[in-house]
Amino acid sequence: MRIEISIGGRRQVVAVEGAGADALITPSGTDAEGLITPGKAEGVRLEPLAGAECWRLVAGGRAVPVRVRPHAGELLVTVGSIRLPVRVRRALPVPSRRGADSNSTHRIEVRAPMPGLVSAAPLTVGRQVGAGCVAAVVEAMKMQMEVFVPAPGIVEEVRVRSGQEVAGGQVLVVLRAQEIS
Amino acid sequence: MPTLRRLLIANRGEIAVRVVRACRDMGVAPLAVFAPTDAGAPHVRMADDAFPLPGDAPAESYLNGPLLVETARRAGADAIHPGYGFLAENPSFAAACEEAGVVFVGPPSSSLEICGDKAAARTAAASVGVPVLEGSGPIEDGDAEATASKVGFPLLIKAVGGGGGKGIHLVRSPGDLAGALRLARGEAQAAFGDPRVYLERWVEGPRHVEVQVLADGSGEVIHLGERDCSVQRRHQKLIEEAPAPGLSAAMREGLTSAAVRVARAIGYRSAGTIEFLVEGDRFYFIEVNARLQVEHPVTEAVTGLDLVTAQLAIAAGDPLPFGQEEVACRGHAIECRVSAEDPHGGFFPSIGRIDGVREPSGAGIRVDSGLYAGQAASRYYDPLLAKVISAAPTRDAAIARMRRALLEFAVSGVDTTIPFHLWALDQPAFADGSYDVRFADGWDQGPASPDCLRLAALAAAAWYHRQVTSPALPTSGTAPKWIAAARDEGLRR
Repeated sequence: MRIEISIGGRRQVVAVEGAGADALITPSGTDAEGLITPGKAEGVRLEPLAGAECWRLVAGGRAVPVRVRPHAGELLVTVGSIRLPVRVRRALPVPSRRGADSNSTHRIEVRAPMPGLVSAAPLTVGRQVGAGCVAAVVEAMKMQMEVFVPAPGIVEEVRVRSGQEVAGGQVLVVLRAQEIS
Repeated sequence: MPTLRRLLIANRGEIAVRVVRACRDMGVAPLAVFAPTDAGAPHVRMADDAFPLPGDAPAESYLNGPLLVETARRAGADAIHPGYGFLAENPSFAAACEEAGVVFVGPPSSSLEICGDKAAARTAAASVGVPVLEGSGPIEDGDAEATASKVGFPLLIKAVGGGGGKGIHLVRSPGDLAGALRLARGEAQAAFGDPRVYLERWVEGPRHVEVQVLADGSGEVIHLGERDCSVQRRHQKLIEEAPAPGLSAAMREGLTSAAVRVARAIGYRSAGTIEFLVEGDRFYFIEVNARLQVEHPVTEAVTGLDLVTAQLAIAAGDPLPFGQEEVACRGHAIECRVSAEDPHGGFFPSIGRIDGVREPSGAGIRVDSGLYAGQAASRYYDPLLAKVISAAPTRDAAIARMRRALLEFAVSGVDTTIPFHLWALDQPAFADGSYDVRFADGWDQGPASPDCLRLAALAAAAWYHRQVTSPALPTSGTAPKWIAAARDEGLRR
């Protein structure tokens, strides 16, 4: 799974594999201004410490307590005396390759980045939307995430409604991409 | 006075737990009271019996004097311990206890009257040769200007009936006097029901040092050394330590003997604290805290003595359980107050429900806590959740132990002051003990180091991955797991 992390002006995409507490995190890119030194995969463990927010992060041969609290679409991550607002979202490969091949009429599937409850699905069929328009709001663990339309298009299908449970990766909205001239 | 058998604790949170423990040590039956929101709190579960109070608002619960006295009487309690805050320094509550034949664990109401009147306390201190800051008695608006020029600028306007940092106004120049006076009077009237104010010289960057005393009410007064409480924000203490770093032997002797004289002058009984400002090699009396204080454990840690059982012994009419010559300070102790406040957001109270707690322990660490999972951090009460006290042979070792303990301390559900304390311990001014009351104003988390950014990014990525791969919510039949897995697989291409 590819995840995009932004803290302040710094942004980095990482590939994360693993299950449960263990994750292997591979930072992509060559950007020395990134958050994690690129190029080297790093095994980390995130173990529950107390409640929903307190964790023990084991990384680089060290164990540090961290607090992670979803707040207003971001994560507030506290390490020692420092608290940082972190934007984190799934780096989705959209538009899909399949669509990209048939350039003018390709479909864009907007998917749920995580399992959760749809708390808003504001789009209606036939509506023309621009990139960055909110396709749905998905809520999990007190965290609300806006799911954005990745490219301009016309809404063909709205597959979810407010109040519905969705799985991670489930298609929320299908768009017909607009030709970019 | 009879030996105590049953004691009602008219308080909540960590201090109620502290008193329950002292009762156990003394073989006294502890009785708790609780507001509805505190029904599951540790002090309730640890007591021999617990009595519900009708509402969460302080006036209905822990400030409800008549009901508390009535409850004590009905429960067959022979004494009431008020803890700190709430009714602890209320002379009419102390008097009501005595009238009902219930021992008030604290000073007599006559001492509370003097301590509650800041001007009277100043006069009492000055009468036994203890230096007070240049200032006035209660002033009239008409004489304000003349009195102020005598005191000198900058100066503070303080409420005669004040406490807890309320109603204090700093006036830097004569032009601001009239306006500040109006504000101060209004606040004093609103907060304390007493519009009287007085003036006091302002000291820029002093240290706040206080002396713990213990008195039996018949003139026997001893001190248990001093504490430095200069790490404050809006006149609220955050960190306290004993002994005060960098205090000369002469200054220590001056402070402790002054404290004993003041306590004797006001006919004090029980445990109390005499507060001073220290400016260079001079010190000034500011006020008496006529109660057991939040920070009493640092004194217990360096003296090895127990202030709460001493209070109970004195309340039972016993002489002081130890003499001045038995009080010796060893090593160093620090206390950090862990409150439900957001240090990154102006220290505003953090309201919420605590869903998980992990308290530190180990060598040299004491935790006095009222924390429990399921606890609501309520807007009605003080945000103090717990206190961490570290003790060690040296100050450096006490700091190291405190840092370790704070990193072990996990509270989920609300923001706490733990990040502020971790910052404070790493400041050069704290490490070398040279800080003063302005120290906490310097709090600013500053730019994150590359290492911190990296850890935050790794934590966020691992957290997010965990959320996505372990479904947090039961999925409905419309989205079986294997479909989600297949879709996920498809996305990886």
